[in-house]
Amino acid sequence: MKRRGVFILVAAGWLLAAPGILPAQTPAKPKLSASAIQVAMVEAGDVQIPAEFRFAVYERLVQRIGASGAFHKVYRSGDRAADGLPDLVTLHTKVEAFQEGSQTKRELTTVLGATKVDVSASVTARDGRVLLDQKITGRVRFFGENLGVTNDLAKRITKLVKEAF
Amino acid sequence: MTLPTTLMIALIAATLAPAQTPLPSATGATAPANPRVRHIIGLETVERNAGGLLSVQDGALEFKSGKAGNKVPVSAIDDIFIGTETTQGGGKTGRVIKTAAMAAPYESGKALTILMRTKVDILTVSFHDAGGALHGAIFALPIGQAEPLRAQLIQAGAHASPADKPVNGGSRP
Repeated sequence: MKRRGVFILVAAGWLLAAPGILPAQTPAKPKLSASAIQVAMVEAGDVQIPAEFRFAVYERLVQRIGASGAFHKVYRSGDRAADGLPDLVTLHTKVEAFQEGSQTKRELTTVLGATKVDVSASVTARDGRVLLDQKITGRVRFFGENLGVTNDLAKRITKLVKEAF
Repeated sequence: MTLPTTLMIALIAATLAPAQTPLPSATGATAPANPRVRHIIGLETVERNAGGLLSVQDGALEFKSGKAGNKVPVSAIDDIFIGTETTQGGGKTGRVIKTAAMAAPYESGKALTILMRTKVDILTVSFHDAGGALHGAIFALPIGQAEPLRAQLIQAGAHASPADKPVNGGSRP
């Protein structure tokens, strides 16, 4: 009787712990494929964001995606060399919210003055199909100037693109 | 007076002190011809955060940093934006001093954050290369020096949106 009780206890414990221990039963998403990517200029829409932030995100994306090795070639917005490529994908970044903080406040208080940018990053194929679409937030919380947020954002977007391709 | 009290007084005094930035001249006459600037990002042949000289000559915007340099033809410039940012002054030396000050007792090193803050102009130049690809070069200049440079570029033939028209909040002259 006592052994049965122990068995039930162990079985119940296993059932409770199993979802955390066993790997998820969802099949791994197949990777997308493209030999080249074109990085479109960051769109601001109605959000008031200084031009230097938009251009810094764009420049850092070009650099980081190029360095990631996920694509044979990375083209900038407007590059005529990308015109004839059949399997070209385009990365679009649209700013959804921007909060400019203060480096001085951040370094003095460590809890105030964070700079934050929310964007929607999407990758589209040549025919307009959306291959990837996700909301991403870039932050600079502690040390560094406000423009550092562009580096954090570009890093996160590059990671997302690299995982998908 | 105890040490914490002394440090507290120093911190309050530093908070009340104005930022260590020179006032821009109303006429812009004091702006040097070639201001010493920091290249933040955007020029492929120059390292990020490299200090150098920015000038407009022979129909091009030229940035020289030691042996490295880059020229952007004025005719290739699509727009010019001006912004400002309060950041830490002192360059690399400032960063080293601030890092060392972290070890100071009672977090007194934080007072340096206030003492070393400085306001800079941010000049963003949007241009295209021969293949039509879009580039954006961003520079940090001493306060009050971006506007004369922008005027110089426009005079030389660069395209730029009107200064009073905010482009997605970008142009803040």
